[in-house]
Amino acid sequence: MTKQYAFFVDAKRCIGCFTCAMACKNQYHQEPGVHWRQVYPLNEEIYPHRERAFYSLACNHCENPTCANVCPVKAYYKREEDGVVVHEQDKCIGCGNCIRSCPYGAPRYNPVLKKAEKCSFCYQRLDAGLKPACVQSCPVEALQIVDLAEFDNPNAVQYPAGFPRFTKLNPSVRFILPEQPRMVTRSDV
Amino acid sequence: MKTHTKECVGQALSNAFSRRRFLKAMAASGALACLPGALLRPLTAEAGIVYEGDYQTFRNACPRNCYDTCSIKSYVKDGVLQFIEGAQESTYTRGGLCVKGYAYTRRPYEPTRVKYPMEQQGRGSGNWKRLSWDEAMDKIARKVLEMQEKDGNLLGLGMTKYSGNFGITNYVVEGMMSSLGYTTRFTGTPCWPAGIDAQNYDLGNMWCNDPEDFPDARYVILWGVNPAWCSVHSMKYIYAARDRGAKIVAIDPVMTQTAAKADEYWQVKTSADGALALGMARHILDQGLVDRDWVDNNSVGFEEFASYLRNNVTVDWAAELSGVPAERIKAVAEEFATAKPATIWIGYGMQRHVNGGATVRAVDALVAMTGNVGKVGGGARYGHLQTWGFNYHAMLQKQPEGAKGVPGKTEVKGDFHFTGDQGEVSYSDRILNINKTAQEILDAQDPPVRMLWVSCKNPFSQDFDRNKMQKAFDKLEMVVTVDNFFNQTVEQSDIVLPVTTLFEEWTINASYWHYWLSINEQAIKPMYEAKSNIEIAAALSKKMNELSPGSCTFPTEVDTKEWMVKEFNQNIYDQFGLESWEDLREGPRKMKLASSASWSTLEFGTPSKKYEFKSELCAEHGHKALPEWKEPREPNAKLRLLTPHTKFAIHSQFNNIDWMQEFNPRPYVYLNPQTASERGIDDGDTVRVFNDLGEVTIQAKLTSILPADTIMMYEAWFHANPYNCQNLVDDTAADMGSYKTGQPGVAIHDQFADVARV
Ligand code: SF4
Ligand code: SF4
Ligand code: SF4
Repeated sequence: MTKQYAFFVDAKRCIGCFTCAMACKNQYHQEPGVHWRQVYPLNEEIYPHRERAFYSLACNHCENPTCANVCPVKAYYKREEDGVVVHEQDKCIGCGNCIRSCPYGAPRYNPVLKKAEKCSFCYQRLDAGLKPACVQSCPVEALQIVDLAEFDNPNAVQYPAGFPRFTKLNPSVRFILPEQPRMVTRSDV
Repeated sequence: MKTHTKECVGQALSNAFSRRRFLKAMAASGALACLPGALLRPLTAEAGIVYEGDYQTFRNACPRNCYDTCSIKSYVKDGVLQFIEGAQESTYTRGGLCVKGYAYTRRPYEPTRVKYPMEQQGRGSGNWKRLSWDEAMDKIARKVLEMQEKDGNLLGLGMTKYSGNFGITNYVVEGMMSSLGYTTRFTGTPCWPAGIDAQNYDLGNMWCNDPEDFPDARYVILWGVNPAWCSVHSMKYIYAARDRGAKIVAIDPVMTQTAAKADEYWQVKTSADGALALGMARHILDQGLVDRDWVDNNSVGFEEFASYLRNNVTVDWAAELSGVPAERIKAVAEEFATAKPATIWIGYGMQRHVNGGATVRAVDALVAMTGNVGKVGGGARYGHLQTWGFNYHAMLQKQPEGAKGVPGKTEVKGDFHFTGDQGEVSYSDRILNINKTAQEILDAQDPPVRMLWVSCKNPFSQDFDRNKMQKAFDKLEMVVTVDNFFNQTVEQSDIVLPVTTLFEEWTINASYWHYWLSINEQAIKPMYEAKSNIEIAAALSKKMNELSPGSCTFPTEVDTKEWMVKEFNQNIYDQFGLESWEDLREGPRKMKLASSASWSTLEFGTPSKKYEFKSELCAEHGHKALPEWKEPREPNAKLRLLTPHTKFAIHSQFNNIDWMQEFNPRPYVYLNPQTASERGIDDGDTVRVFNDLGEVTIQAKLTSILPADTIMMYEAWFHANPYNCQNLVDDTAADMGSYKTGQPGVAIHDQFADVARV
């Protein structure tokens, strides 16, 4: 298998601090309302306590990226060396096909430039030998970068509850599920 | 929020500002003169970015009074701050910040900044008029001289300042006051005084282990502390302890984010933590799990404590009071006592009660009786001031010749108050309690507090009883506030002075939790007309001396960088292995520690030099000698009201930054679904939270993280939202705090309220 970078989201460690999302904003100054990375609280069917477990999600740099497949002007390419899906904004005509086709909502509309944009896996940082800004920022190493060619974690899942299952795309992301502590709630109320 | 003049913020309030439009607007307003060189290049997803070498880098440090006090590395191009990250050199930050830290890049450019000195025609009117610095200083100086003339002293001039900017050169605000004469100071601390006193009685000082030694712990109790929100960088060490086999227990009235990450969570009844600790202690005693060697060699008063436990405490009693079943109390007490080393992190929330100091003493005792004090990976962790040995030059200014104040010597105290020996003095400052600011202003006489200088603080959103604060402010003849933003205190001021952000000034930052020291360099030129507190003091001095030569001793010209040199001494250099303060420009440094454990020599700072289960000093100060159970405050409304910190802010800071609003757009009151249904409240409903003091109208969020007798709102000032939890929080004192910080703490969490649908 060739190299394919993926985000590894350890929801057992993730404290939902939003640092990763803000670190991305700090690096790229997205327009108001535009986020390339978001921290999603899990709903209570998945984790029984509101806003206490989270998935940090951005572009999944899919093995078979639908964004790239539907782009009429080939503004997308997938890097051979690491599988990162790059959107070239200067080619983008803002038709919105990618935004509509990605079931993970990764490409976002930039209302000022009237073009699409999305998480680039910080490939410039990767090329400079640095971690992506969000990965470097995570204070508890809940967000990591792995190479699926070598990744082997028996506890990791690709499609946890709440994360849409689109096997044809084969999203490059793996999760560890959150856990609950032993709960000792008050006996007097 | 009141509308401010068009000139200062109008455009920015209504528009969501884009990066490009922001720059355009700045160009139009002429503010780009402050942004030398090229504009921020549009950083699109595919724009080429080069890192090291392509930017000028600077060292900064977060001064916001958070455990983590992160070292920051700032990347600047063409004089514009482009992005920041945590310092890689610090093993504590490891290249990261927190969500608040990463929003800093926006802070200097945030459109709603206070840009120039301004004067308000009618407090709260929002009718602001721009002043020149000279005009502003003239108005202030004339008022100071007028008070001096009228009262024959300057005790009518009050100063309130706390931890809004903890850079140590900001002690210049105190220094500026001294250079004018003897004034009125609000001293003490709202945060942690009850616990400080408790640890001083037990151990002889407040001194915690290096948090980087958590991984050596075999058992960790996180008691009333929420590092997942308030000290994110500590979480990795707690996880590391667990990865090495330690059990993590969280005890909190609320299922915090930290609790959700623990192995076991106890939902203790608020303010019953002391009973829980004593119940655990009793069980440890009964099971013969006391570390006899440690206790015999290193402590005094254990036998008295043991007989107190035998006569007054049972596990069932503790279970009854705390709501935690006896079976779990016994199990965890045994596990804690047999895991070596075991540690407890005591949060600042649990001592914000009328029995808070007594509670911390009970928890300390638990750690001590199991022999875990003085051990690597052990410890009763609360805080420390080991890395704060600066000269505090900025503070030490001389009063002008002939200045008069309160006759005789009064000792100024405060947790971060570092005054030199005043020697024989005939006058001193008037000391008022910072935790009762409103009441003290209302009560002060001969002279009344006529003028208030506010810096590094936002009393309207942080101090207690907003309605009373309003009455107190109404009594003041002049209010001058130094701030970055138009917060709720600025709205109640006559004059606002724009102050520099961390990127625009020189200072130094130490932590009260970890052992790293950071320099804060000026990375960009001050935006607009902002000045540092040092420069403001110099500007005022210049005007004072112009109007009345000799009326102010503060230097009239300053180079803020030179002030750095004056703060360092050989001791600090030795502690950190520095040749010069400039070495810190290479990166933060960690104090050279003989051991990561506090009290590793087992020589304590108490009168007996031992750990004191029984403290005569504590008894002399009007408390119990032993860490006995103390009754909580009587409820005065149906529900317990908690107002802790949110992860998105520190007090009122950060909520207003536009980047932060993206993730935290509005405040809520959180309630248990049962509490809500009893009152016909649905998720998302607008409700009224009320008690005898006042009320708040706010949206409800239902959540099982709270018990049914408790509601919670996060403490904050929200941009464009009048929400203020201080409408509902009174200034009832905690039991301890006066010994070390001069004033008792505040029972912030001993508050009650009810809620109804509107
Ligand atoms: S990899 Fe880079 S671009 Fe993608 S979410 Fe993380 S910080 Fe943003
Ligand atoms: S920074 Fe890490 S812990 Fe925080 S929300 Fe993101 S993934 Fe979770
Ligand atoms: S708020 Fe705390 S964690 Fe965040 S950057 Fe500042 S010091 Fe670091």
